[in-house]
Amino acid sequence: MSDPLLHIEGLRVEVEGREILKGLDLTLDKGEIHAIMGPNGSGKSTLAYVLTGRPGYEVTAGKIAYNGENILDLAPDERAQKGIFLAFQYPTEVPGVSVVNFMRTAYNATHPDDQKSAMQFRMYLQEKIDLLEIPTELVDRYVNQGFSGGEKKRNEILQMAVLQPQLAVMDETDSGLDIDALKHVSAGVNKLANDEVGILLITHYQRLLNYIRPDKVHVLMAGRIVRTGGFDLAERLEAEGYAGIAAELGLTDEEIAELRSAEAKV
Amino acid sequence: MTDRLTRDALEGLASSLSEPGWMTERRHGAFDLFEKLDMPDPKGDEWRYVDVRDFDFGQFDVPAVGGKGVELPAEVADRGVIFTDLATAATQHAELFKEHYFTEVPTDEHRFTALHGAFVSEGFFLYVPRGVEVELPLEAFHTVAPGGSVFPHATIVVDENASLTVVDSFRSEDSDRPALCASVVEVEARRGSTVNYISLQRWGRNVHHFQTQRFTGHRDSTVRSLAVNLGSTFARTQVESVLTGEGSFSEMLGLYFADADQHFAQRTLQNHAAPHAVSDLLYKGALKERSTSEYSGLIKVAKQAQGTDAYQANRNLVLSEESKARSIPQLEIEANEVRCTHGATVSPVEEEHLFYLMSRGIDRVTAQKLVVFGFFGEVLDRIRVPAVRDELADAISSKVEGSQVLEMSA
Repeated sequence: MSDPLLHIEGLRVEVEGREILKGLDLTLDKGEIHAIMGPNGSGKSTLAYVLTGRPGYEVTAGKIAYNGENILDLAPDERAQKGIFLAFQYPTEVPGVSVVNFMRTAYNATHPDDQKSAMQFRMYLQEKIDLLEIPTELVDRYVNQGFSGGEKKRNEILQMAVLQPQLAVMDETDSGLDIDALKHVSAGVNKLANDEVGILLITHYQRLLNYIRPDKVHVLMAGRIVRTGGFDLAERLEAEGYAGIAAELGLTDEEIAELRSAEAKV
Repeated sequence: MTDRLTRDALEGLASSLSEPGWMTERRHGAFDLFEKLDMPDPKGDEWRYVDVRDFDFGQFDVPAVGGKGVELPAEVADRGVIFTDLATAATQHAELFKEHYFTEVPTDEHRFTALHGAFVSEGFFLYVPRGVEVELPLEAFHTVAPGGSVFPHATIVVDENASLTVVDSFRSEDSDRPALCASVVEVEARRGSTVNYISLQRWGRNVHHFQTQRFTGHRDSTVRSLAVNLGSTFARTQVESVLTGEGSFSEMLGLYFADADQHFAQRTLQNHAAPHAVSDLLYKGALKERSTSEYSGLIKVAKQAQGTDAYQANRNLVLSEESKARSIPQLEIEANEVRCTHGATVSPVEEEHLFYLMSRGIDRVTAQKLVVFGFFGEVLDRIRVPAVRDELADAISSKVEGSQVLEMSA
């Protein structure tokens, strides 16, 4: 048997001295789509960032193996060069840097055996733009600057299409989108899903999963995966909320109170 | 022994230029002022934080005479454009020249304009007749020898509905002997005309650069200036737009990138004297290593200048902990119907930006380069002379690459 695409075991992560992930286990194979659902503050974004190596996220225990290789000591750019991609919840604006220039630099950095000239890259990029039905003018603008919420998310999906990662982590790609934008972005993800890529969909709400059907649904709560199931688990969460499951799991009163207050803020 | 900047040296310079007597008289007047004036006060508005009180004028040789001269393309000359050195202008176009020479920028502004007036050593007079559009950029080059001095002067008059682009370049080799440049640029944009003036300060190390640029825009004129500071050890650039005509427009761009122990000081003035004029200023600079910069900019709106739109922004990107940028925006508004915005920022490269770029596989140094380019893009995109844009892109790139700071933080 070959190694799974992603194997996380007993992962503990601290941010500014506070433990956020408290022993997380997860295995994802190529060709699979897994949803990670959880309330605010459960550690969803922390999982996304720790996979991409964001500074400030300290792994205190456990391991992350990507294609069997420990990636914890790799810098963000090295991880990306190996095929790990994060679609950001809040994509960063980079003033003055055009999308096309940024993407070509990134493409050539992640594809050392296929360096593309500006002209070649334009043609390649246009294919992806057509595939995802994204307005061409977007790529001549500065990265995420003045983009609407929907445009930012589309731009993330476009980058995924261009870079062709093996592991795509999508952090709340549905947040802040109206229903049309959600459908459009979901259609894009579906077009990019294939046997060669593993997708981790991180979301608070079940509605995204109406458009992108996951193979598995994991519930992340208080820093751990507490339940794993199929689409029905997502439906149940939508109906009952997270607090119901928390009680059933025997989380402490304190943890439940934390969850309720986090949910109340939404 | 070589001559220093004395009155005798002034006489020698004047006679070798074979200029008319009134010009030499003016030199003497300026030299009198130079002797009389105090050094600019670092506590005053115009030279705030720029302390030149110990500046030693005695260390520089007299200027070489004449400089490189300027060339006027034949097809432009045929259309009545005058583009010539000052002595030639003073003999062949005596009246026109005398009417404009040292009118926008008088010699008595401070000791450096006075010294400039006494020792003007090269430069040009440029006149574009009514309605003539000069499409190709006209160029002038200035240089200075190690230990020497140069006093370039530009007098530019663009007549009604005419248009013009000028690129004024200042370049020399690095040297361990200090040199001096004191330059004056005076521009009159008449009714409905368009002037683009670009100064490219790319002196070698150890040059001390002082420049005053003043633009007067008459009714419905458009004046665009770009002041670039990349070279020298010390540079002070003063750029002023005087909007005397209703409906006139002035775009003022600045681009600077300092490294090592370079020090750049910039002073700008948007002087609104007429109603419904627009000025739009954007000065952007990056600093690395131990370099420092000061920017101080004033928007002045006179009582009669109703309907003024004036924008001013100074943005600084600080690439090292040792470098420092200071920014002082000022407003002086007497009219009551105006729209003015001004803003200044001094900020480091944001880790957030770097992480986003790196998360796509781009290494840290390349990511930093992208961010620096991105920072300057806003100015570069507004430069209308492609060759200048390319030259600046190259210069910025080599400044970034030469950086020890970027390697350090990698």
